[in-house]
Amino acid sequence: VPQKSTVQDLSAAVRILVDSRCISSGVELMTSLRQRHAATVHICSLDGSYFIVSNRTAVERHSQSDLASMQNRKRLAERVNSLQGLFERVCLIVEKDRTKPGEASRPFQRTRYYDSTLTALVRTGVRLLWSNGPEESAGLLADLARLEQRKGQGITVLLEVKGQHRQQALQLYLSLPSVNYVHALSMSHNFRSIAQLINSSVEDVQKGGSMSRSRAEEIYRFLRYSCDSFLMNTPKVAKNS
Amino acid sequence: METKAAAVLNAVPPYGHVITSEKWRNSSLIQSLKGGGVKILFESELGVVDFHLPNKSCILYVSECDIIAASSYKRKLVRYRNSSSSFQELVLVENTRLSEQYFSAVQKFVVFDLGLTLLPVSGQTEASQLITQIVNGGGRENPFRRRSSIQLLDPLVLALVQQVPGVGRVKALALLQHFSSIQQLCNAAPTELEPIVGQAAAQQIHNFFHRPTAAGT
Repeated sequence: VPQKSTVQDLSAAVRILVDSRCISSGVELMTSLRQRHAATVHICSLDGSYFIVSNRTAVERHSQSDLASMQNRKRLAERVNSLQGLFERVCLIVEKDRTKPGEASRPFQRTRYYDSTLTALVRTGVRLLWSNGPEESAGLLADLARLEQRKGQGITVLLEVKGQHRQQALQLYLSLPSVNYVHALSMSHNFRSIAQLINSSVEDVQKGGSMSRSRAEEIYRFLRYSCDSFLMNTPKVAKNS
Repeated sequence: METKAAAVLNAVPPYGHVITSEKWRNSSLIQSLKGGGVKILFESELGVVDFHLPNKSCILYVSECDIIAASSYKRKLVRYRNSSSSFQELVLVENTRLSEQYFSAVQKFVVFDLGLTLLPVSGQTEASQLITQIVNGGGRENPFRRRSSIQLLDPLVLALVQQVPGVGRVKALALLQHFSSIQQLCNAAPTELEPIVGQAAAQQIHNFFHRPTAAGT
């Protein structure tokens, strides 16, 4: 049936990686992504609760009141900082707060603090998207993924990593600085062995990891970085902290 | 004439000021900007732009009326985008009870098609608060700015070596004392690793690096 094949062509287009922590808070969104937007949603374990819609783009989702709250800013700044280290583009979906059934929707009180948070985010190059609820957020995620796909940045790598050794290799790739989950997946599928990646040229790291030139250079240097065992006796440091 | 227009297009107002076009002179937005302590400079040749702000950003204002009438605001947005000034181009969109049904389409056009930054406001009062914030907040430190402090790579190398199965902190430190980089460690023969971690671990480490992970290219 020709009609069905078009739907499949489109669905093949949109692939989105979702952190497992997004599930509990996003059942409605996930269902909508799968059913209304025919997206392939792959649940994985990322270093935070966010979405990956292309090789270079991550999306965080926050409620409007989240963004307006003073207590959250430090954590939000840490999240945004860490994502900007892993992705060329960081988007933030600002979702209207949900009202309980029967409860009158209260208009959002815009504060100077909220405005200053928005201004600061825009200044750092974070892209803001506005949504009325989970359904709309799903639409925005699908649109973003489709847009990135048209620009040749869509996630095309195999999402499954089978076998214990490959899983371990994936974890090792994830502990490289500035490597996001899509880069690590690409590396685990494109290099014959870990040794092959380690001995690769910058060009091959860039190609095999589906990443930018500067990121590939960073990895290349890191793998050859000669460390001083004296400096390693510092307390354990979390990735990208 | 041409050069003058170009100069105006790229004019950065002094701190605490905004440059705006004459058509805003009697608006409530300008009144509340003044109330908020922002100084206003009027300029008749700003082109399509509504406001120039001191920190090299500019604003195009899309009103409820523009959206509902679907008049020429799309063409205006395209011209705005194409003016390719060195400013960060922001678009304020009035999202009101009357215009909210169109908001999602406007957002798609502004953000996805044109790649501009959209900030919704409920009207001119909120817009003036936001603009005041942009004008006055420019001097403050941005909490979201990436800290460019030089990261110490040594602990990251150590952490990576501990991803090798069977290698904990102690073995990782011992290995890195002999092979100071990941590449050197990876290319070490099992016999070179043996004196440091013992025969079994030496073989295991070597295998881990060299075992096939993928069909490869």
